[in-house]
Amino acid sequence: MKMTKIYEGAYQWIMYGRDPYKPDNIIDTNQYVVRTDKRCLLIDPGGIELFAPMLAAVLHHAPVDEITDLFASHQDPDIISSLGLWDQALPHAKLHAAGLWEGFLRHFGCESIQYVPIPDNGGVINLGSVELQIVPAHYLHSSANFNIYDPQAKIFFSGDIGAALEAPGQPVFVENFDAHVEKMRFFHQRWMPSNQAKRAWIDRVRSLDIEILAPQHGRMFKGDDVKRFLDWFEALQVGIAV
Amino acid sequence: MRMSSNKSQFVAVASIAAELSAVMEVAKEISLAAANAKAIAFRAGEKAKGFQPITDFINELAKETIELVNNINEHALKLYRLTVKEHRMSEACKRFEKVAVSASSAPYAGSLTQSLQQARQRRTDCRRQFSLHVSELLAQLADVMHPARAARVIAANSRIEASQAGEYLQSLQAVAESVDHAAQIIHDKVHKCRSALTMISTGD
Repeated sequence: MKMTKIYEGAYQWIMYGRDPYKPDNIIDTNQYVVRTDKRCLLIDPGGIELFAPMLAAVLHHAPVDEITDLFASHQDPDIISSLGLWDQALPHAKLHAAGLWEGFLRHFGCESIQYVPIPDNGGVINLGSVELQIVPAHYLHSSANFNIYDPQAKIFFSGDIGAALEAPGQPVFVENFDAHVEKMRFFHQRWMPSNQAKRAWIDRVRSLDIEILAPQHGRMFKGDDVKRFLDWFEALQVGIAV
Repeated sequence: MRMSSNKSQFVAVASIAAELSAVMEVAKEISLAAANAKAIAFRAGEKAKGFQPITDFINELAKETIELVNNINEHALKLYRLTVKEHRMSEACKRFEKVAVSASSAPYAGSLTQSLQQARQRRTDCRRQFSLHVSELLAQLADVMHPARAARVIAANSRIEASQAGEYLQSLQAVAESVDHAAQIIHDKVHKCRSALTMISTGD
């Protein structure tokens, strides 16, 4: 699995993805890790099929007993179906996920991991040297959905928002925004159900100082491309299936 | 006894649990037959005098069968849950072992050792518990064959008594038939479960 450090300061952000051994018929995903001195947060740690390569990659940065936190932006299998395996691998960890989805996520297996329910209006994840904000993004696309904002690193994890479906092995950052748009269009029009929810999210996110917008599928947006994405998404009509 | 954690194991244990749930429904039919028999025997009065004690037998038999089947069902469900747990443990072990291989050069690869050992231990514990439960379940299934056999004998006696009951002959014979039929089904299903369970427990 490819590992790309996207922030280095008192702590690190690392993006994991582009696994060359990923089975062809499952959707490609990006996983993110925030590694502080003694703690390690896995953001959208991935599906069952990705567990082994993901853990093998994380062990380059943290021992198992310092993987202390998991975050699930919502309930989809590509995000968190590996939960039952993390549950057996990690001796003391917490899962930060929507309170609304607790009864559902526990179906994946959650006996030793402590479930920390996130209320609808969000919260924080305190990792000691950094406090991450949990930002509501409901109905984009899931009914209870959250993003993560790091005001120090200026990184915004946007989950499915900003996702693009591409062939394997693509660069990790958008290089040509106009060319990239066509890879995002159908995904956002079909998966995002609500223009109202979209506008509320954009209003919330425009006020944040963001250097990198990091989605769960496809490439990340850097610098001016962040604003380009927000403008493009604002103008896009979504919810096309009805 | 070895326990295999492949897909057919799951299906086999789930099928056994399902068969045993069906046995419960049939056991309840015997209870219903007993209630019917009592009502008919009461109406028939002197004509079905010989039948009346039989209804009490049928009732007791039904209660005994239902209680046995309740215990068996609980055991079967425990077995199914153990199968699922063992499958999860085996999956975890498999994937941890994969991590151990692909992360051999990672600085923190060694930190997985304890988790892997614990997963292996839990899998071993599951397999041990599974063997114990299979033995207990086989014994319980053997026990439930007794009331099933007794029910068939009672059904035969019921037919004889029914033949003395004049115009109530048909009703009482219908009761005898339903008891016999239910007992036969219980016998067949339990026999099937025992065979399937024996096959799982001896492994592939």
